[in-house]
Amino acid sequence: MATTNGEYVIDLHHVEKIYRGKVHALRGVEMQVHRGEIFGLLGPNGAGKSTLVKIMMTVVRPTHIGGTLLGRPIGHKPTLRRVGYLPEDHRFPRYLTGRQALEFYAALAKVDRRTRKRRAAELLTTVGMSDWADKKVSTYSKGMMQRVGLAQALVNDPQLVLLDEPTDGVDPVGRREIRDILVELRRRGTTIFLNSHLLSELEMVCDRVAILVQGKVVMQGTIDDLTAQSRRYEITIQGAAPDWAQGDPSIRVEVLSDGQSKLIIQGSEPGPMQPILDRLRRESRIICAMEPVRETLEDLFMRAVTDPATGQILAPGALPPVGRSGKGGRR
Amino acid sequence: MTVVAAMLLDAYRELNSKKLFWITLVLSGMVVIGYGSIGFDEDGMSILYGLKHVDSEFIKQGSPWARAMYMGIFSDFVVTIWLSWIAIILALISTTTIFPDFVASGTIDLVLAKPITRIKLFVIKYLTSLLFVVLQVGLFCVGVFACVGLRLGEWNWMIFAAVPIVTVFYSYLYSANVLTGILTRSAITALLLTMLFWCGLWSIQSSEVILNQFRLMSQVQAERAQEIVDRVEASLTTADDAENGGGKLQRLRWERELEGAQEDHEQAQELEQTLATWHRRVRVVIIVLPKTQQTVGLLSRWLKDPHGFSIMAMMRGDMTGVMPGSHANRATDVDAETSRRMEAYYDDPSPWFIITTSLGFELLVLGVACWMFVRRDY
Repeated sequence: MATTNGEYVIDLHHVEKIYRGKVHALRGVEMQVHRGEIFGLLGPNGAGKSTLVKIMMTVVRPTHIGGTLLGRPIGHKPTLRRVGYLPEDHRFPRYLTGRQALEFYAALAKVDRRTRKRRAAELLTTVGMSDWADKKVSTYSKGMMQRVGLAQALVNDPQLVLLDEPTDGVDPVGRREIRDILVELRRRGTTIFLNSHLLSELEMVCDRVAILVQGKVVMQGTIDDLTAQSRRYEITIQGAAPDWAQGDPSIRVEVLSDGQSKLIIQGSEPGPMQPILDRLRRESRIICAMEPVRETLEDLFMRAVTDPATGQILAPGALPPVGRSGKGGRR
Repeated sequence: MTVVAAMLLDAYRELNSKKLFWITLVLSGMVVIGYGSIGFDEDGMSILYGLKHVDSEFIKQGSPWARAMYMGIFSDFVVTIWLSWIAIILALISTTTIFPDFVASGTIDLVLAKPITRIKLFVIKYLTSLLFVVLQVGLFCVGVFACVGLRLGEWNWMIFAAVPIVTVFYSYLYSANVLTGILTRSAITALLLTMLFWCGLWSIQSSEVILNQFRLMSQVQAERAQEIVDRVEASLTTADDAENGGGKLQRLRWERELEGAQEDHEQAQELEQTLATWHRRVRVVIIVLPKTQQTVGLLSRWLKDPHGFSIMAMMRGDMTGVMPGSHANRATDVDAETSRRMEAYYDDPSPWFIITTSLGFELLVLGVACWMFVRRDY
């Protein structure tokens, strides 16, 4: 049993899920999400991201789990009153209007009548759907459904919101609006757990990320921490790299196609750069460019999904279990 | 309470969006209008709001015949044919999508992520799904109640007993629909399997009725044959005592009649025993299954004429209820006696027994469905 740590809104330990078809979707996931942050969960298709979210929301039953959600054991139903959830490809009953849908799901979350009416109206305005509030959801586009879906996830004024691909099908303007909403929620102290493929968007809003590959968390932390190792300076010079640079183990040399060379110096401090620049100047080398470089989230992601031994991209999807892993827990 | 109210409102909105709900309501309205078109005056009865008049000495305003006929049309025809067959089929078609849609991916996630246990969710969803029948039958009964009140001057609240009876009857079938809906997640498959289940129930119950009818008929025939045996034997004894010697031919005739009656008695008894064995076996099966026909039949029992008149009895020529003098003629009538015994037989089990054993089966089916709903990953 995991410790209940007030600092963590989500504190997961040894999360295992083996589906009936013996698909080992999650293999001992460990994950912590801090209060008031936007946390991004990344991973290739079939890595187990949605399964993990569904386990937290009691939609899928774990094979084994330890840990807490808002300080209570995972699966504790009353806790879900303080949690908002937008599933991937959600579907509202087609006979409801946007407003009715929000009020219905708020009632299921045990929000009182007056509050849910007020919240529904406010949120429909927030997500830009007030003009469509009283139209049937069957007339909505995918993007509109996502907007109302997001409003639905917020209708119970949750402390924690889990969003599975919230910007799927939403136009660029809508995406920006959703990002703004998330940032505003964070400002008000709400914790947001984002599950998305859109790495650039996650990079813009997430405080911390975890990368899930084949049912396991392979990286977890702030984007700065995770990319610290990759920080470097790149100096592009005209012509071939000098011999002394090629012999220096702290400098990596790349030959570029246009007759230029690139000297790559690992590290985030500018100090070690200065003697190299001085020497290049002394040798009258033409310095075309010099820039500090950091891995993007996409680079980080690609590194995470690449097998270090073979350099090959790991196959998408979950791993089948080795033998018949009957690992104790529920099925 | 918030959750129950919300799901009830949602169930109503779902029904409201279905065209078939309104079509069924309109058809029900037409049946009520048709029922209300039958009226009585001092000379007899009128049909189609006076378009056609039938003079009758018995069926006229204020007569028990008219009352029994009007109530009988409701309990034996309108409920049995319209509410128990046609409206139920329409209800099943309308509601068969409810559970498969409810457990569909994308929909169920939103609901399961709420602070409600799965069992509670299942039970509330099931109960609110019965709203279709409750509303349809309830509104229908309001119409019938008004017709009976206006036509007979009798404001009979027992008419509203049709609401729980038809709802319970429908729930037997709907439980199977829910199970198959959760199992297959396909509305059309669920509907077909439910119809199959209903056909199965109907076949078993009809077999039981037919077997019972023939068993009782054999029983009556055996009794009639025994009566003849007793009568002829008495005649022979009397003849022996008289020793008049002149009745040899008559005696021979009696002996032949005795022989024939004994043979008939033996055959009828043998057949009755065979049928009784089979009937017992079928009955054992029926005890554990939902008793759809008997459940609906409860309404006829509760609306039975206080004078013993029944429209079904009238249709088979049994006038004992209102014409006691006809009893002597009918006593020899095997068919009429069999029908009377059938009626008595099916009036015997208590409503409590019929409903609880049927609901027991329904609970079992729902229990399996609920277990699957609770255990499944979505």
